[in-house]
Amino acid sequence: MNLSEKLYQRAGLIFPILATGGALAAASFIDPYLAYVATSWVIFGLLGLSLDLVWGRGGLLSLGQTAFYGLGGYFGSIVAINMAPLTGNTLLWSLPAGAAFGATSAAALGAIIFLARMGPLQATILSYTFTLLLWSLTQSFTATVGQAVVGGDNGLSNIPGVVVGFGQGAEALGPVEVFVTVVIVSAATYFLCWWLMRGTFGRVIDCIRIDAQKAELLGYDIRKYQIANFSLAGAIAGLAGAMFAGWANYLNPSIFSVQEALLVPIYVLVGGLGTLAGAFVGAFAIGGLSFYLGGGAVGGQTTLILGIVLILLVLFLKNGLVGAMGELWRRTLPDPNAAARDAGAVSIDPEVLEGILVEAAQQAGPAKRLATVDLYKRFGGVIPVNKISRTFEPGRPYSLIGPNGAGKSSYLKACVGIYMPEAGSVTVGQTDATNAPIFERVHQGVGVKNQKPQIFGELTVVENLSIAAYARTGDKPAAAGISRQILAMLGFERQAKVQASALSHGQQQWLDIGMVLCLAPRVVLLDEPAAGMTNEETRELSALVRTLARHTTVIVVEHDMEFVRTLEGHVTVLHQGQVFAEGDIAALRADDRVLDIYLGRREHV
Amino acid sequence: MELDYLATVLLSSLSSASILLIATIGLAVVFGLMGVINLAHGEFLMIGAYAALTATQYGIPFVIAIPIAIAVTMTIGAVVEVLIIRRLYGRLFDTMLATWGLSIAFYQLAVLIFGTVTPGIGMPQFNLRIGNYSLAGYPLLMIAVAAVATVFVYVLMTRTVYGMKARAAIQMPEMARAIGIESARVNTLTFAIGCGLAGFAGAVLLPIVPATPSMGFAFVIKAFLTVVVAGPVTLTGSALTAVGLGGGASVTASFLTSVAGDAFFFLITAFLLWLYPLGITAKWRTKM
Repeated sequence: MNLSEKLYQRAGLIFPILATGGALAAASFIDPYLAYVATSWVIFGLLGLSLDLVWGRGGLLSLGQTAFYGLGGYFGSIVAINMAPLTGNTLLWSLPAGAAFGATSAAALGAIIFLARMGPLQATILSYTFTLLLWSLTQSFTATVGQAVVGGDNGLSNIPGVVVGFGQGAEALGPVEVFVTVVIVSAATYFLCWWLMRGTFGRVIDCIRIDAQKAELLGYDIRKYQIANFSLAGAIAGLAGAMFAGWANYLNPSIFSVQEALLVPIYVLVGGLGTLAGAFVGAFAIGGLSFYLGGGAVGGQTTLILGIVLILLVLFLKNGLVGAMGELWRRTLPDPNAAARDAGAVSIDPEVLEGILVEAAQQAGPAKRLATVDLYKRFGGVIPVNKISRTFEPGRPYSLIGPNGAGKSSYLKACVGIYMPEAGSVTVGQTDATNAPIFERVHQGVGVKNQKPQIFGELTVVENLSIAAYARTGDKPAAAGISRQILAMLGFERQAKVQASALSHGQQQWLDIGMVLCLAPRVVLLDEPAAGMTNEETRELSALVRTLARHTTVIVVEHDMEFVRTLEGHVTVLHQGQVFAEGDIAALRADDRVLDIYLGRREHV
Repeated sequence: MELDYLATVLLSSLSSASILLIATIGLAVVFGLMGVINLAHGEFLMIGAYAALTATQYGIPFVIAIPIAIAVTMTIGAVVEVLIIRRLYGRLFDTMLATWGLSIAFYQLAVLIFGTVTPGIGMPQFNLRIGNYSLAGYPLLMIAVAAVATVFVYVLMTRTVYGMKARAAIQMPEMARAIGIESARVNTLTFAIGCGLAGFAGAVLLPIVPATPSMGFAFVIKAFLTVVVAGPVTLTGSALTAVGLGGGASVTASFLTSVAGDAFFFLITAFLLWLYPLGITAKWRTKM
């Protein structure tokens, strides 16, 4: 790996360190007025960072970040007004109070959005109306809290400036010192976020953004991660609000206004969505531009210009400044996905697989049976799962076959919890799982590969496997060990650092199966695993499924009859949501009724 | 409680719900037929109001000012569709951000052109007496207007060639193109109709809600909530939600305070979204 590549990998750390150092160095000669104005850009950058966490990484466009910002500002200021005279230092009071209040209100709103599993549109609109509601409520809201007077439209004044000294005589800092303080607090916050988003927490958040269902199928309770991320962003917005209040010495309801809210996505888009540091770049770019243009010819039309800027950004510059520069840089680096093209054939070593499965059984317990009783699911007039009662035991693989629309995938989805059944029951081992959410069933030992390979395309192959292994172990070294084993078994060693999206369809199927194996499932459900595989790969898959079935319960949905035959297992034919016939494949091949429904003959159609 | 008082409350609540429905219907059409949330919807309403106001200031009768407002907003809507919306199909949140930018630009333009304070127009004077109470007739007329507008849109979408093309273009864009529907042109017309309905709302409500640059923000909060609570079956869903939520809020407001009415609206909305995270009509089988 050459210097440029190393630098690229660490860009999120190195450049912000340089920028922070540069800002602190500039403070020694900067004009106090410029320092005063630039302080606000840093604060806006921090606010942008909070949106980038939720939107760029978490995938939810929140138009409510200024609400947390304003609430944090108000609350932090009220605490600081009352408490700071006792100690001198204002930040000691305003920053924790602002962050805590921002986090609490974000947690409350986030709980409503995520626990209800609201759609993305509903979530965005709810966050927007939350801001607008605060805007209209605060216009007439008056209260006196100790020394602080919240005067509705008149706002909250007499907010103490930034004081870091202690004791009665401590003086408020001058503009340059305030700039330095704000830069230090913001940089610390940024590096905390950078570290957090680089680690497992950030990976899981990324996975939820890319494919929330798959993240849950790995066993992650995605709602907890989403609420935690949303609260973290709320805390950062509240922190920014508290610093803003100390900088401006005054707050009024316009902090909740649409004009204010509009700026936040602009900062993020100018800088680059999902880059974290981009929010600061965007805030400096926009702030610097309006400072340069000044209050002159365009001063009164700032809002107009910003509105148009937002439209142009969305239309023409989706990656932002940081994103665009990163893209240019990446082109000069060797293509990390080149290895995807020289992948060898997958060859499953039965002994290695056996070893993995024995180890998995030691850790996760013996195989479990999966049973459904009168399982029933309907969509309007279509009943894809019509009172299916089956029990699946470990030993030999079960195949579900049937013509298109027979209800095979729907049955699997009802067993997993992707579809909630209207009636009947699902039992995993001895535990009733009928109403359990997906991740709980996964914890009970269910592992699923859906029809379409579900992989996290932006992550590398090895990251895909280790995020799956981490879901079960909750331990990073253990997860790394398991993913290395599975990686070796699938023959993907050379593709470990390749982005999963660069793999072929067949390779993605293998990767998805590998992720399921990382979960050490006690019941394995595979929906059309052989689709997109070569004949050779299908043979390997057949060997894998048969080995797997000796250690766990395995159910396979498949259209490839040759594949089903090689499994030498029990075959169930579904038709119109019901069990139509069962037995071994030879008997079914001779059964006229089965041929009728497959070929569309006579009365059984 | 007197029976006549109760009747007054019910009628005026129904009228507030109807006003909400009138303001929402254009948004619902655009969302339902194009999958686009137009955050500038409130500003189209504002443009309609100013167009009608300006027309009446030139001595044009109010009844004729309404179609003028519709024509103005439809034209602007068509231009916006061609310049912005068309480039962002299938990118819901980008469309929202772009129309958000548009909304704030329109707002600022209105401030520059008309200033922040504008004269209202007088409400047509006719009253309805119920027992000891007298109600202004024009707001009550809005109940009929809302009903007519809903039926008009329903017929337009289900009984006309355009409506079928529009529904085909959103449900199966490629299939629609394959059978010769120019979905781009249909979408331009749909967006223009949505904006025209907003303009109609702004104009017809002008005697009740005076034109100000910021009127859009206040109005659309409830309109957005109505549409997202309604979910995929936008027209019927929005009508139900507007009557239920708007009417409920108005009844609450008349017995308690207007703040309580607003609180009712937002709490019930949050509650409904909790129960139906994808909207109340998410599991319906009808599609209009």
